[in-house]
Formats: sequence, C-alpha cells, structure tokens
Amino acid sequence: MGMISVVTGRFLQAFLLLIAMSLIGFIGIHSVGNPVFNIVNIETATPEDIRRATVALGLDQPIWRQYLVFLDNVVSGNFGTSYIYHLPAFELVIAKLPATLELASVAMLIAAPFGTGLGLIAGRRRGTLLDRTVLRASVSALSIPSFWLAMMLILVGAILTGWFPSGGRGSTASFLGQDWSFLTANGLWHLVLPASALAIPNIALIARLSRSGTIEVENLDHTRFCRAKGLSPRRILLRHTLPNISVPIVTIIGLQFGGMLAFAVVVESIFSWPGVGKLLIDSIQLLDRPVVMATLTFIAVAFVALNALVDLFHAVLDPRVRLSSQR
Amino acid sequence: MTEQAVTAPLLRVQNLSLRYSSQDGPTPILSDVGLELGRGEILGIIGESGAGKSTLGNAVLGLLSPEFEQTSGTIEFDGKTIGTMTEGERVALRGRRISAIFQDHTASLDPLMSVGAQVEETCLAVDATLSKRAARARAIDLLARVGIAEPERRFRNYPHQFSGGQRQRIVIAIALAGAPDIIVADEPTSALDATVQKQILKLLRTLVDETGVSILLVTHDMGVISEITDRVVVMRKGQVVEADRTETILEAPANDYTRKLIAAVPKLHIAPATTNAAQGARQRGPSARGDGNSPALLVAQGISKQFGSQGFVWSFGRSKPGMGLRDVDIRLPRGSITGIVGESGSGKTTFGRILAGLDPASAGRIEIGDRVFDISKSGRRNGLLGRVQMIFQDPSVSLNPRMTVAQTLDESIRFGAKAGRATGPADAVAMMDRLGLARSLSTRYPHQLSGGQKQRVCIARALLARPEIIVADEPTSALDVSVQAEIVTLLKDSIAEQGMTMIFISHDLAIVQQMCSSVYIFKDGRVEDFGRSEFIFGGSDNPYTRTLINARPHRFTC
Repeated sequence: MGMISVVTGRFLQAFLLLIAMSLIGFIGIHSVGNPVFNIVNIETATPEDIRRATVALGLDQPIWRQYLVFLDNVVSGNFGTSYIYHLPAFELVIAKLPATLELASVAMLIAAPFGTGLGLIAGRRRGTLLDRTVLRASVSALSIPSFWLAMMLILVGAILTGWFPSGGRGSTASFLGQDWSFLTANGLWHLVLPASALAIPNIALIARLSRSGTIEVENLDHTRFCRAKGLSPRRILLRHTLPNISVPIVTIIGLQFGGMLAFAVVVESIFSWPGVGKLLIDSIQLLDRPVVMATLTFIAVAFVALNALVDLFHAVLDPRVRLSSQR
Repeated sequence: MTEQAVTAPLLRVQNLSLRYSSQDGPTPILSDVGLELGRGEILGIIGESGAGKSTLGNAVLGLLSPEFEQTSGTIEFDGKTIGTMTEGERVALRGRRISAIFQDHTASLDPLMSVGAQVEETCLAVDATLSKRAARARAIDLLARVGIAEPERRFRNYPHQFSGGQRQRIVIAIALAGAPDIIVADEPTSALDATVQKQILKLLRTLVDETGVSILLVTHDMGVISEITDRVVVMRKGQVVEADRTETILEAPANDYTRKLIAAVPKLHIAPATTNAAQGARQRGPSARGDGNSPALLVAQGISKQFGSQGFVWSFGRSKPGMGLRDVDIRLPRGSITGIVGESGSGKTTFGRILAGLDPASAGRIEIGDRVFDISKSGRRNGLLGRVQMIFQDPSVSLNPRMTVAQTLDESIRFGAKAGRATGPADAVAMMDRLGLARSLSTRYPHQLSGGQKQRVCIARALLARPEIIVADEPTSALDVSVQAEIVTLLKDSIAEQGMTMIFISHDLAIVQQMCSSVYIFKDGRVEDFGRSEFIFGGSDNPYTRTLINARPHRFTC
C-alpha cells in the first residue's frame, strides 16, 4: 500500500514536471526568434519560399496549436526532425549521450570517493593542519570558474607537460551500438582532463558536506558509545560514521550528476567533447526546436530517474525509511 | 589471586581535579574528588546539574574531550593508572574491562545497523579469537540474558523497532559483551518511564549479583539511588560532599546539602492519614460527563486525535494513522488544579496542546463557560489561543533567545491587554517580585539565567497574559530536584492567588498528589482512571493505577 502510493506519487510528480518543463521550453524557444530564417537561405529565398517553409514546419499555426501538435507527436514517440541536421531529434540526443554519460560518470567516480574520504578525515581531525587545508582548498575549488579551471588543466596537463591530450574523445570502441571512449586506453587518456575539470568542484562540495556530517555524527551519543564499547577508531569511522553521513552526500551526488549530464557545456566546449550540453546550447543558438525539446525532455527524465535512485538508496541505507511501512 | 587483591578496590580515584578550558579561560569542573569502587558493588554518584558527576564517569572511561585538563590526582583501575595510558591502551581497556551505559537509549545505538550486528561487532571487538558464528551465538545469548524475548528473530531488527526499555536492555547487553569489571552507567534510567525504570534497575542488580560486575551509577535521582546502590557519593559543584553506605545516607545524612536533596524528593502518601481523607478515598468524585453539582469552567468531551496519513503523494511509508487520543472526557472545576498523569506515549502532552489551542483535534468539543470552541482548527482560528496559556517542559527552549526577560513579559502583557483586560508594565515588576525573580534580571537574556529562573519567567509570562486556564506540561522535569520543589509551591500558590484554573501534566505521581485536587490517569490515549486525588492514591483499585503507584521507589512512599 505504502509502496504503491509512493510510486504513483512519483509518476504523477514526474508527469507534472515534464508538462511544466515542456511548456516553459516551448514558449522559451518560440520567443527567441523565428527558426525559418535559419533554415531557408536568406540571400536567395523569395517570400514564397519562406511562406512555404513556414507552412511545412507548422509555424503558421498559433503557438498553442503548435504545442498540442508537439505533445501529440511526443506521445507517439516522435520529437520531430532536426531543422538543421534533418535527422530525428531524439536520435541526435541518443548519439551524444555516450560521450556525456562517460564523462559525468568518470568525474563522479573520482569525486565521490575522494570527496567523502577527505571529508571523513578532515572531520575526524578537526582543527588540524589537514582539516584547515581541506577547508581552504575547497573554498577555492568551489569559487574558481569552470572555464578557468579547464584552461589551467589544459595549460598544465597538456601544453606544459604534454602528459594528456588537450581535447577530443580519442579512439572509441563500439558497445550497445554506440561509440564509447572509456573502452579504449587512448579514450580513457582523453577523459582524464575533462573529467578532472568536472570532478574538482564536486570533490570540494562533497568534502565539505561529509566533513560537517562527520563532525556532527562523531559528537552523537552512539559514536561515544561505540568508543566506550571498545571499537577501533577505524571501524567506527567506516562502519558507523560513514553510513550515517551518507544520506545528504548521496542526494548531492545525484543532483550534481544530473547537472553534469545537462549543463557541463563549458567543459564540453573547451575540451571539444561532443556531449549533450554542447548539443543543447548549439541547438538553442540555431533555434533547432525539435532538438532543444528532445534534449530538455531527456534531461528532465534523467533528473526524475536520478531522484528516484537517490530515494531508493535512502531506503536501502536507512531501515527507518525502509521498514516504516511494515510496522 | 591473593587475598589482598580481592579486598583491594577495583577502581580508586584519588584527589582528582579537572578543568575545562574554553575561550573564557579554564573553569574547574572537578576538585579533589576521591572514591573507591569494589568488586560486585554498585556505587551511586548523585548530584544536581553542574556537579561534575558525568565528567567523572567520562574520566573513568577515558572519554573526556581534549578541552578537559587533569590538574591533579589519579584514576587507578586494577592497580594501573588510567591517566598515563596511551590511547591504544585505553581502547584495549574499553569494552573489555570498563564499559558504559548512557542515558539516551535512542542515541546510544546506531540507527542504521541491526541491533544484533551491534552486539556482535562488540563481541568481535573485545575478543578477536571469536569466529563470526561464535560471536553471533554470543550476541544472541547476551540479548536473551538482558530479557529480549525471541532474540534469534529480533537479532536482525533495527533500534527503532524496539521500545525505549528494550533499547536500554540492548545497550546493557552491549556493555556486558566484553565481560567487563566495571560498567559506568550514566543516568541509565532517566529517559525511561517509571515502570520500565524499575525493571531495568532490577536487571542491573541481578547482573551484578550473577556476574560480579561493579557498577558506577551516575544519577540525579534519589529514587534510583535508594533502589539499587550499595554506597553513595554525593557531589556538588565538582566536590564530594559526602560518601557513605546508602542506608546511612538516606536515613542519617551528615551533610546539609544531602539532607536538602533528600527532603526535596516529593513523597507519595498512599495510606489515608486522617479519617476525613479515608472517607474521600472511597469516593471517586464527579464524573467527567458531569453531574452538575460543582460549577465547571471547562468541559472537554470526546476529544480524539489521529496522527499520520496527511496527503497521499508525500506520505512516505506512513501507512496506518496512529491514534494519539481516543474519546477523552475531562471536566475542570473553576479554580482547581487538575492533574493528568501518564507514561510516555499516553497522549497527555497531545491533550494539553489541543486544550491550549496549539494543535487541532480530530473530533470532540471543548466548552469554556458557555462558549463552544471549534477544535478541529489550530491556532488563532479556534479561539482558544490566549484564553488558555501553556507552560512547557523545557524552559531553555521555550523562551525566545533574542528577547530579554522584560521584553518577553511585556509581550505577554500586551497580548493579555488585547484580550480585553487591563494590565500595565507595573504588573510585570510585581509579578517578578511575586515569583522571586530579582528585578535586575529583567534586562537579561534567557541564556544568562539559570534553569529555575527561566522556568519562573515562563510562569510569569503565562500568568501575565491573564488566561482563564493554564496548562503546565511537566514544568519541573527539566529542573534539578531542589529547584523543582520551589517551582511547584510557587506555581500552586500563584494559581490560587490569581484565581486561575490549571491542568498539571506530569509523569510524577508524588508531585501530582501534592498539587492537584483531582487526577486523570492516561494510558494509550485514553482516560484509564480518574477521580479525586484521595481516591486515586488511596482507594482506586484500577490495576494500572496500582502499577504506577508501585513503580515509585518504596523509600519515598509512605
């Protein structure tokens, strides 16, 4: 009973979110400009050409009707055809997905353990040199802009030392019908710099969060009791403190991961990493409405799914959430 | 083991002085404290807040935070000095030779780990030779020993699935896991209901008798001391004022402070003292539905309250709506003090909050005078707010920390004046005088006041709003015993002077008997028993009422 209402609630929420997102996106892209002028050749097109293109794209209809047509198409699984590439918009997004997914995943796989580890140690040794260093470093890491960080990484990691390539995805291998960089050594090599650029601010964020969590949990009675019952400090830290600080950390990881899928555009551009973020920005500039809408929908769905995963993790982690419906 | 080793004390604290360094400089916490604990003995350490008794317990455990500095003295355990040990040696000692039980059973256990695993990891930590299977068997054995029914099945349950008493039993099982020589028990029963407290104390005594473990029992409760300790150390402001056998301390205390502490414990009178009272004990008194003889100021009928099940999207896992209150009837005669007694979860606080208009009820009606109030709404909309004032349990969180005493009282007066009764700022001063608050305190902020002073401000605040009814929810349980008595007397007298009516909510039968003319006993959200005070404490044969009365320490009933 409890589970079903939670799941229906979630779907309802997701549905409302998608409707709201599509409305805002639709009206937004509509008010930016008329895509017809990006499609016909302005130099040579006659007014008749423009008119025909407008009718062909359905742009002569009032906006509410255009929106309904869009919804109708989406329900039948069709996001329309890109005005620019003349390919199905959804396929375009799917084609960019592997690049984004592997970049974000590698960045998070670096950030989560490093951030949590640093935070745990800093929190345990509060006030020491190590703690102060972590705190100060995290402030700088959070406040420097990502484009500057990315350029510094290129400067140091690629130009001065020549250790890493400065951009591109390198060689890829095919898996599930898509091209992935992380399956080849050369591709992994290309991942290092962009993934670090995305990971560094997240390390700082996660470290701060887990540091304050550690300090809070270590002051609780059950940590004191664990010490009184003779457990080693290491065991207390890993088996008691870590699970107890995990809930906010996992929430942040989920949110940040979603953000990286959608909005890593700066890093993607600088490292010429052809991902979803770059696709979105390019499409907005070209007023390629089907692609924009397909990308936004994908991002919204990804956020909803990530949130559901985070909740699931909470239930796995915290018996009070998991078992309350059974009592 | 030689004869000498058996008689030598297991734990010896000599001339121990500790101070706490903060930004304001060092504050002495303990000065020149000495005590001895023998094998198989329960030594009580009693004192009020600030006596340094918990610090002493932590010092023995080696768990003092780095801000504490030992300036003199030694703690000797089994011939070895704890102060000179390395942290590694202390870890080796903890759990195996010296273990602990803390006050808050909810916070003592890791909420994310099953209780069985927590006992098991302790078994493994104290005995590295144990196999995983043997540790599990040991853990089950320990759980059974402290009285957890069906330990195999409950092994995998989590702390929140146990009641408070059971959780404290699990904590005790963990403390026993290393077969320690000493258990430092810091207020082990203070967070528990009286009936459960009794069972836990009994368990501790049994364990001492069976295993020969010694217990250093830190408490503020003379009742606990009288129930199980062999010897007592009385502490005040970081010093030992008296130490002797429990009998001697209780019957012939040598020190003034000890005498004051014992005298401050409210005593429950069971046997009817006079023939007049004996007669009263046979009559229950008017029922809540009312026979209409004495004028009732407030009549509450059929008050019910359900918890949970709000909304359907966000009701994460909350499946069944819990019943907080079921069909409660209460009748308050004008100018009387009526007691509500119950254990935790009995719904007494919920009822008080509904009466004060702070929370809505699911069903029922409240009449004050001729007016009927709509109690399905909370706050301003039900009209109760202001006519009923509340005094809360913990004064340290019920005063606005950013308002001075004068501002707090002034707000109350202006509110009362708005309700149509004339009062002026002079009243605040008069009220402060009446409640024994020095006038110089009026410019202070709550954190600059003692617990007793804060609660006096709360009382003044409630009285100055000139309500018809005051609901006092455990107004003394966050205070020290010696302050409790003053507050209770003050509250009783000023209510009578002001001609107000009061509901006094408490878990402490003795205070209720002292304060109230009639008593309602709540259990699981219902009125289990009610009647005049003489009837409840003398004549009622309700089994639950009897259980509550019997749970009182015998020394403090007569």
